[in-house]
Amino acid sequence: MRTLGVLLAGSAGAGHQNHQAEMYAPGFAAHPGFRIVGATEDRSGFDRADVDVVSVCVPFEHRVEVVTAALRAGKHVLVDKPVALTSAECAQIAAVAAETGLVCLPAYHQRFHPAIRAAREAVAAGRVGLPWNVQADFLVAGGGPVWPYGELLNFAPYATDAIHAVTGLPVTAVYALARPVEGPEDLVTLCLTHERGMTSTVVAGRTPPIAGVQGLSLHRYRISGSHGTLLADATRPGVTVRGEKGTRTAWAGHGTVHRMLTELHAAVTGGRPAELGPADALAALLLVEAAGESVATGRVVRLDNEQARVS
Amino acid sequence: MERDSMSSRPLGILVVGAGAIADLHVAAITADPRCVLAGFADMNADRARTAAYRNGGVPWTADLAGALARPDVDACIVCTPNDTHENLALRVAAAGKHLLLEKPLATTVEGAEAIVEAFTRRGLVLAAAHSHRFYDYARTVRDEIASGAVGRPTLVRLALLGGWIWPDWRSWVIDPAKSGGHALHNGVHLLDLVTWWIGSRPVSVYARGQRRTATELDVHDYLEMVVRYEDGAVAICEMSRAHRPAALAQRDVVVQGTGGLLTLTWDGEGPLLWDEKGAHTLDPGVAYGFAAQLGAWLDAVTAEGAGTSVSGEEAATAVALGVAAERSMALGVPVEVL
Repeated sequence: MRTLGVLLAGSAGAGHQNHQAEMYAPGFAAHPGFRIVGATEDRSGFDRADVDVVSVCVPFEHRVEVVTAALRAGKHVLVDKPVALTSAECAQIAAVAAETGLVCLPAYHQRFHPAIRAAREAVAAGRVGLPWNVQADFLVAGGGPVWPYGELLNFAPYATDAIHAVTGLPVTAVYALARPVEGPEDLVTLCLTHERGMTSTVVAGRTPPIAGVQGLSLHRYRISGSHGTLLADATRPGVTVRGEKGTRTAWAGHGTVHRMLTELHAAVTGGRPAELGPADALAALLLVEAAGESVATGRVVRLDNEQARVS
Repeated sequence: MERDSMSSRPLGILVVGAGAIADLHVAAITADPRCVLAGFADMNADRARTAAYRNGGVPWTADLAGALARPDVDACIVCTPNDTHENLALRVAAAGKHLLLEKPLATTVEGAEAIVEAFTRRGLVLAAAHSHRFYDYARTVRDEIASGAVGRPTLVRLALLGGWIWPDWRSWVIDPAKSGGHALHNGVHLLDLVTWWIGSRPVSVYARGQRRTATELDVHDYLEMVVRYEDGAVAICEMSRAHRPAALAQRDVVVQGTGGLLTLTWDGEGPLLWDEKGAHTLDPGVAYGFAAQLGAWLDAVTAEGAGTSVSGEEAATAVALGVAAERSMALGVPVEVL
């Protein structure tokens, strides 16, 4: 396996989070296809010959500048999610990525979960027939808010991206509810209409801590089709361990970040686009913006999918 | 009509409408020593006679006025098509009889309010047959919320998914003029339950419906109804007759609260059986909802118990939600609950 050199750029994230240190750096370090060759807090090192991939976690105000600089320097990029705070900024990144033809992978790693992959393959094989509805829950217990951003921007795109990965149907309209009314939302409900008349209802948010739960307390998708019904519970596979300290689940298989990096590696070494690209990040942000408008106005907001198509 | 505990004559119950659901009510009557089946009234005399014959030859009639005038009829269970509920309920009230009325209370908000007013004015007991309230799963969820185990509910999911459709095109339940639409026919079960669980006032509904079994259906066989409550809680209710395979029967409950998470897994209610046809969950042998429902109504009628039956006011709220859901589907926009 060809080993790709990785430069870690930045250590910021949404709110208090540091995805570079907590997720991507350990992910690259543990993956046999990558080797971390350096780290930078500015743009130094983008011209290094031993760098193939730049892992970007710089603050949002520098995202466009840093990602496009890396791409123009001929490097493939992994971008922390959300890729940007606005669809306009994301569109700039998408345009440069398209121009350079390099891999620019937004880190919506949940779509690489084995349960979602299995669902995607089953749907693609016609096991449920033509999908007409999806229900999704993405609830994380504890961990603290990503202030000043809400979970509409932070968590909801994981679930909507997974739905897109499974069904391939873009969203055409959204009605959204969010709570609390004051401050960043911690719980959102998205009622989506997709192309081909498919509907979905997505719950995403951060809840108070639950004993024994590290992270996701509920992460599942029900896909209803013309010929079958599929329940994909992403808390599986897992064993349940009950002890003096309560109940927890565990599984030794590779996590979603590792699986995403495998796709990044395959795209870079295979000279093909990654299955997840800037267009997906742009679609996610357009949906976040439309949902925000729906929360503010109480109305159903239609999406213009032409905006999400990157030439 | 209040009875003392020394009374030897059990409460006489007239069943109005001898259709399929009547059997479940009659089974409950038979099992409760506090009441007896006084007879059947059905505008179709053959149906009334057949039901009477099958139940020990009790009196039957196609003349409701005559049946309501009988002194041994103390109360009625009305289980007729939804669009007849208002008229029949008002006649039962005028005759001075207590009433257990199949859901929905009425197919309009005005109709529901008129029924509630008529029974309140005469001091008669009105209960609506929101049978799910008396199933073990629903009471478990209610008890857990009431105990504070999950804090205040912020998000509730309730899905009742099935794949069987109503018998054929002649069935009144798929005629929206008679049933009020699926949100009123079956949707009210869910809308009532989640409102009972959450315990706040519903303020708006956004509903979407699909016609999966046949595009020619005049009702939606799949409903996705999202209710927003005054305290900020959100409920997602799915009612389906559209799922495949047709044998699918899935109940899904999620309650996310300020202090915890409650879930009911798809296989959480009964033993699992694998046979040559696949995996099945066996009947868990839980309490019979219709018996508990009848018991609660009898408690209220005889004033023996706390009166835990579903009140007319609560049933009228479910009608308002069902009407709002049908309107939301017709308009494609969220609708305020009146």
